[in-house]
Amino acid sequence: MTQFSVLLKKEFLESWRSFKFLWIPLVFILLGVTEPLTNYYMEDILAAVGNMPEGFQMLFPELTAADILLSTTGQYQLIGLLVLISAFIGSISRERHNGTATLLYVRPISATTVFASKWIIASLVSIISAVLGYVASMYYTAILFGSVAVSDFVKMLLTYCVWLLLVMAITIAMSAAFQTGAAAAIAIVLLPVGLLIDSAIGSFWPWTPWKLANHGLSFVTETVVMKDFGMALLFTAIAIISFIGIGILATKRNWRLTKV
Amino acid sequence: MTLLQVEQLTKSFVGKNVVDKVSFALEPLTATALIGPNGAGKTTTMSMIVGLLQQTSGTVTMQGVLDIRHSIGFLPQYPQFYPWLSALEYVEMVGKLSGVPARGLREKSVKMLEYVGLGDVLHKKTATFSGGMKQRLGIAQAIIHDPKLLLLDEPVSALDPIGRQEVMNLLKEIQQQTTILYSTHILHDAEKMTDQVLFMKNGQLVEQGSLVSIQQKYADPKYLIQFVQEQDAANFAMRYEGQLDGLYVYLPAQQPMQQVLSSLVAEQKEIVKVERVTASLDEIFMKVAYQ
Repeated sequence: MTQFSVLLKKEFLESWRSFKFLWIPLVFILLGVTEPLTNYYMEDILAAVGNMPEGFQMLFPELTAADILLSTTGQYQLIGLLVLISAFIGSISRERHNGTATLLYVRPISATTVFASKWIIASLVSIISAVLGYVASMYYTAILFGSVAVSDFVKMLLTYCVWLLLVMAITIAMSAAFQTGAAAAIAIVLLPVGLLIDSAIGSFWPWTPWKLANHGLSFVTETVVMKDFGMALLFTAIAIISFIGIGILATKRNWRLTKV
Repeated sequence: MTLLQVEQLTKSFVGKNVVDKVSFALEPLTATALIGPNGAGKTTTMSMIVGLLQQTSGTVTMQGVLDIRHSIGFLPQYPQFYPWLSALEYVEMVGKLSGVPARGLREKSVKMLEYVGLGDVLHKKTATFSGGMKQRLGIAQAIIHDPKLLLLDEPVSALDPIGRQEVMNLLKEIQQQTTILYSTHILHDAEKMTDQVLFMKNGQLVEQGSLVSIQQKYADPKYLIQFVQEQDAANFAMRYEGQLDGLYVYLPAQQPMQQVLSSLVAEQKEIVKVERVTASLDEIFMKVAYQ
């Protein structure tokens, strides 16, 4: 237990001193507030910069708060995930590659504590970022487009946090299993690209982990199908546990790859 | 009582034995030098002993125990630290990982860093450290948990002569309380701090024993006579079947020195010196490595 708390503190310090607790939330907040602001002022922006012909009429759809949250989520699922993956994909592979892991791996610590400490801190950074981002987004959305029920918003947030736990389990597991470059490629294929593919062809199976965020959003639009949501949540939980298992095994297996 | 017992340690990569049936024992509070040319398998052997690498076969036991990670300290050739931690934070962290009680750990870490000469930079981030400072920090992190055995991979190879001297002196002090196994290819250093020498070549242990016994075995004593004139040297070498090398003549050391001296007197040639020479560790190294 001492070992675990020491490594947890070490991972926290690393993220803290490399400002990950600062810049990643800032990215999410920026992405979050951009959506309501640009959508609300789109007409004014176009009028100010565009040379619109005389009498040109544009029809803007009447956007609801839920629509804004949907497009914010779209940003997070692409740009947000890429930021998170790139911030944490080197967690284990880079330490092995540059040799900092060597001096730890000769000590009586287990692969489980190494993996768990990294996954927990990476998840913490991700969740803080997403929560702050969504709250900032919701703040402007509420001012400009109207509000949603707080309980629905919280349900959506919690759902997204579960999804982020999977995102980080995959990211750290890939970092444990492969070298940084290959790990990044696989994580990007599994997460942002996987989301695209799933949304393109996956209308037949509502239960994939990739759809969890959409199920979360349907709390806000009050169109949630609890059975599908439950299935997606179950499969996400299974995926999280599987990737943690893979990650621990890979950490152990690749122990020897650390540069001496 | 033997501290570490290494038996038939073998590592194969794709069918090739990088380390091949290496067996040796370390006695408590001795210093052992693992010597060999590059690629001999020194680092691989050390990696297996410290548990970074799983051996193909063979065992490493410390007084009968297989998991020896609590009782060893390890310093790789190029120790890498987290640049965002200070020297003190780093030593405290690894101390906790190795099971040093939290109570008194701070004081112990400070003392340890002062001991290796980093007392002025306790709170400096390791990112700013020079090579010599990193090596010292490497030693501090390796002994913070009072290991029974300290393993060092080329501890001084990357240092300048002054740093090398300082680190060797430090290691000698540490050896008063800790058994040391270190690899090196700088034999001059090995000569200064060695109770036992292990020669490795192509993954095999080709020679082992105390420095004195190995030196005796490979000493190959000779008389060296330095002449003033090359012609004299050539003539002398011819007559007494010596080995000629410019102004120098080597004679086998079987005959007593008086005999050599009297023949020199008989020849009435001017000489610079007569000397009994034995093979230096470097020459022994070459001999073992290329035999």
